[in-house]
Amino acid sequence: MPATPFNARPAGRFSRLCDRYAHQIPTSIHFLLNLLSRMHLSPPTASADDVFVIVPVFNEASVLGEVLRALLEAYPNVVVVDDCSHDDSGAIAASSGATVLRHIYNLGQGASLQTGIDYALRSDAQYIVTFDGDGQHRVEDIERLLQPLRAGTADVALGSRFLESTSNIPAQRRILLRAAVLFSRATSRLDVSDAHNGLRAFTHHAASRIHITMDRMAHASQLLDQIGSAGLRFTEVAVTVRYTDYSLMKGQKNSQAAVILRDYLIGRLVK
Amino acid sequence: MSLFQIGGFAFLGALCFWVGRGIRVGRIPRYAAAVWLLLCVIAAVLIADPRLTVLAARALGIGRGADLVFYSAILGSLFGSFLFYVRIRRIENKLTGIVRELAIREALPPSREQQ
Repeated sequence: MPATPFNARPAGRFSRLCDRYAHQIPTSIHFLLNLLSRMHLSPPTASADDVFVIVPVFNEASVLGEVLRALLEAYPNVVVVDDCSHDDSGAIAASSGATVLRHIYNLGQGASLQTGIDYALRSDAQYIVTFDGDGQHRVEDIERLLQPLRAGTADVALGSRFLESTSNIPAQRRILLRAAVLFSRATSRLDVSDAHNGLRAFTHHAASRIHITMDRMAHASQLLDQIGSAGLRFTEVAVTVRYTDYSLMKGQKNSQAAVILRDYLIGRLVK
Repeated sequence: MSLFQIGGFAFLGALCFWVGRGIRVGRIPRYAAAVWLLLCVIAAVLIADPRLTVLAARALGIGRGADLVFYSAILGSLFGSFLFYVRIRRIENKLTGIVRELAIREALPPSREQQ
């Protein structure tokens, strides 16, 4: 497990101290101490060490090495969640220098993200970024997402491929994504322009308020719901999503939209 | 007594015995056992006097007693399916939690040669 930086947020250790000695502290004082520990008293430092990048992976052996190489050049704390891949994705991730978590059973991208987030929270990450392992995202966009979080103007930064015309989205995919945006606006009441972008950044506080229970692709809509219901401040940042033959072949098929909708509606009904 | 009534009472008797044993060993919650026993009692009454289904059907605005039994069976099956689905989802959530915890506990740290 990567060492926490020397200037780690006192809030994390403070909370643990509260929990350890809670039985010795009167209830009202304990409550006050916990409240203070969550007020983000120390200003965030602009360091890559405080960022954990979560990369959920399933059978991405052909591109994963390159993706991780680029990430690890900029961020030392890269966590790959191998969702029971059948190829060498896990071995490639392990040899690249990333931390690897492996699901012994294939659960889905939503579950993989939550596993990575849980790990990052336990490691006292100050900022948690989710990043796709198929090469669609650019490493340089991560810092753009982190800027509003570091400035304290937002708790969550969501990447959007529609804020700038820099993505070569196939027309059919664009139509479906627009429909997903309309749907997400209606259910989560968040005014987003890109509901299914895997590039996101959270503060520690925001990530601790979220818990993805929809294991497969419906998690994207659930995330928006939870951001809205938790009252988290969010912002959208223009990012580039690269569509390659590989990513189009590997990624979600347009026909899966109905399955995602079904999973989302049932997931809301059954908790 | 007809052959169907004999077979029906025997089946219901076995079901009640199974429910009773389930309560004794703690396998079936009391509220679930109460529901099963109530259903057994209703079924026994209707098997003993099938004319009661006609009275019930007419009271509910359905033409025939057989139709009432049929509709009730469909609705009961739907409800039962929904309960099973909820249970399966909850089990899946628990499975996810177990797999996640294992993954975190057995996390492979970054390989030293790359650090």
